[in-house]
Amino acid sequence: MWRRRGGTFAALAAFFTVAIMFFGIGGASALTAPATLADQSAPLPLGSTVQTGAVHTDVKGKTFAIATDTTFAPFEFRDGSGELVGIDMDLLRAIATDQGFEVDVKSLGFDAALQALQSNQVSGVIAGMSITDERKKVFDFSAPYFDSGVQMAVTKNNQDIKSYEDLKGKTVVAKRGSEGETFANSIKGEYGFTVKALADSATMYDDVKAGNSVAVFDDYPVLAYGVSQNNGLKIVTEKEQGSSYGFAVNKGQNQDLLAAFDSGLANLKANGEYQKILDKYLAKSEVEEQGGFFQLVKDSFPALMKGLWLTMVATVLSLAIALVLGVVFGFFKVAESRILRGIATTYVAIFRGTPLLVQAFFFYFGLPQMTGQPLSVLAAGVITLSLNAGAYMTEIVRGGIQSVDAGQLEASRSLGLGYVTSMRRVVVPQAVKIMTPSFINQFVITLKDTSLLAVIGFAELTYQGQQIYASNFRTGETLLIVAALYFIVITALTQLSNVVDRKFNK
Amino acid sequence: MSASKAKISVKGLKKSFGANEVLKGLDVDIVEGEVVCVIGPSGSGKSTFLRCLNKLEDTSGGTVEVNGFDLTDPKVDLNAVRQNIGMVFQHFNLFPHMTVLQNIMLAPVELKKLDKAAARAKGMDLLKRVDLVEKADARPGSLSGGQKQRVAIARALAMNPDIMLFDEATSALDPEMVGEVLQVIRDLAAEGMTMVVVTHEMGFAREVADRVIFMDDGYICEEGTPDAMFSNAQQPRLQEFLAKVL
Ligand SMILES: Nc1ncnc2c1ncn2[C@@H]1O[C@H](COP(=O)(O)OP(=O)(O)O)[C@@H](O)[C@H]1O
Ligand SMILES: [Mg+2]
Repeated sequence: MWRRRGGTFAALAAFFTVAIMFFGIGGASALTAPATLADQSAPLPLGSTVQTGAVHTDVKGKTFAIATDTTFAPFEFRDGSGELVGIDMDLLRAIATDQGFEVDVKSLGFDAALQALQSNQVSGVIAGMSITDERKKVFDFSAPYFDSGVQMAVTKNNQDIKSYEDLKGKTVVAKRGSEGETFANSIKGEYGFTVKALADSATMYDDVKAGNSVAVFDDYPVLAYGVSQNNGLKIVTEKEQGSSYGFAVNKGQNQDLLAAFDSGLANLKANGEYQKILDKYLAKSEVEEQGGFFQLVKDSFPALMKGLWLTMVATVLSLAIALVLGVVFGFFKVAESRILRGIATTYVAIFRGTPLLVQAFFFYFGLPQMTGQPLSVLAAGVITLSLNAGAYMTEIVRGGIQSVDAGQLEASRSLGLGYVTSMRRVVVPQAVKIMTPSFINQFVITLKDTSLLAVIGFAELTYQGQQIYASNFRTGETLLIVAALYFIVITALTQLSNVVDRKFNK
Repeated sequence: MSASKAKISVKGLKKSFGANEVLKGLDVDIVEGEVVCVIGPSGSGKSTFLRCLNKLEDTSGGTVEVNGFDLTDPKVDLNAVRQNIGMVFQHFNLFPHMTVLQNIMLAPVELKKLDKAAARAKGMDLLKRVDLVEKADARPGSLSGGQKQRVAIARALAMNPDIMLFDEATSALDPEMVGEVLQVIRDLAAEGMTMVVVTHEMGFAREVADRVIFMDDGYICEEGTPDAMFSNAQQPRLQEFLAKVL
């Protein structure tokens, strides 16, 4: 249970397992989720000596690729302008400056960051990662740069709950798979409360504010940051069960970088800069009230526009491919050949008969594990959406063709025109007219479906929204802006399609 | 191959839809220039028979020879054979997304028999023949039933077929429009076109047919000259049928 945010991953792994079972492929090895890093015996370089404390000058002027998570406020997250900030980021950059090296930060997600390190695509990882014995088998850690621990928080104006004793008969919430959950479960018998598990911090805080649960157990830095952002909660207990975070390199490798990190950290602690960085994210800043709604719109606009752009790119690419798939398989469906009809029917059955989410997990997590060929999240997302939309397009095309009176094809064939010519000149032009409204409908559906790709970390509009409220805790308002953007774009595009339809399909 | 110079030679033709045998063994020879009218009660297999003559239906048994090509032979170039057979449907089956002229020009242009200009000239010629020149650029949807059927006939003639098949060409028309369509068919007959005409217009059949075939329940029940058939029916089924329709 030392995995940070194991909960999210557990859910992914579960979906993924279902996908694997559905497709009937893969043995147990394919089911090994990448997050269970601690269980994997990664190849260890033998005979390398671990140097510590040595002063290294070899790092000077060099550039190191360092992987990190996408969002784990306050350690790494994107501010309103899309810039990657947080304790990890500020520390890393300050240490790099102090030691005279450069960093190239890659924001990959927690699990992907560890994989990237293991496959030597990056030199180190800093991602609010707990130093554990399991992980020490695979990685070398720096001196701890942060001491975490679980704390309990309640709503700001709650006067009744001040300690665990006050929880009797109540429900509390903790993050699934986190230290907070482990701790809460360990004392719930003693104090007589119930623990509910949720997937992420922002949701948990909303749950408490909505009164569904009375208190939340979460990591101290996460809670402290939320409170500093005026998330409406206050912390009422001391830190429990602390673990320490460290910077990691592959075991026996990049020892000069590790040493430089350690001496830089020591220097920052000595000159007070370390404390400044921590205070910047964790100190209670009751003075700083949150800006109004329009300030939020203004602040989040750049990030949301980036997301909207990716949403559009994924939609357009997916629909273009789906259209080709739909036409090919649609014709297969009305073909005389039983084999072609069988292929098309199978394709449609698979992609209409399974949830889009399972398909997305399969293409992003499952397929690369089976083929050893990693897919970018955009590629996986577009493959998922186009295959899914292609299945619906197939049915639209089939329906369109079949709704053209059979006499049309017969009349054309009786003139001596071949099947292909008859379809092209007589049936398809009439079918297209019939299909156009369904196409527009599918267009809107696919555009909305892109939001599901947020779960595989595709940085489209919904994902950007989640990132924003993960750091500012203004869930409702942020989602309102996101929804409004979808609504405006979809309405505009629907109107446009209708105009085009009227113009060309008179 | 048979000794006669039959344009159409049907031997032992059978056709089933699943377990339902619709044609139960037909033998017909039709010679060049002959006009054959097919009559019979609804459901007796007249349309199916006609559709077997250009293989819009796959046959289940027997042979169908047209211009010497056996349509039941899978190697035969159906498209080439069909170009010589014009077909006119009860419900016109005009292409609604094309103009009248485009309907007519489609086959000659697509099959590269004529270039666009020649096909247009040919189309206008045919429209003159069916007296619809002024509708060349109209959409089929704006025409009356009689006009639609005349366009359909012009379209069927565009590839210069030497055989024409009519499947109840006037059944979907209002009575006042039947005459104009029959007149076109009558003209074709007068020009010596080989034709198989499925019809409910007994008077018309009597007038233009060289031979009348009475179909009943998948069989050819009786056939002969119009006079023999209409004035001197032998089979009780035919007598019964005529009593109903005349
Ligand atoms: N495509 C088809 N599938 C199944 N049965 C058909 C089909 N076409 C015609 N039939 C059946 O064949 C029989 C003869 O039909 P048809 O040739 O249309 O008769 P007619 O034209 O003399 O009224 C009818 O019983 C009809 O139901
Ligand atoms: Mg019929």
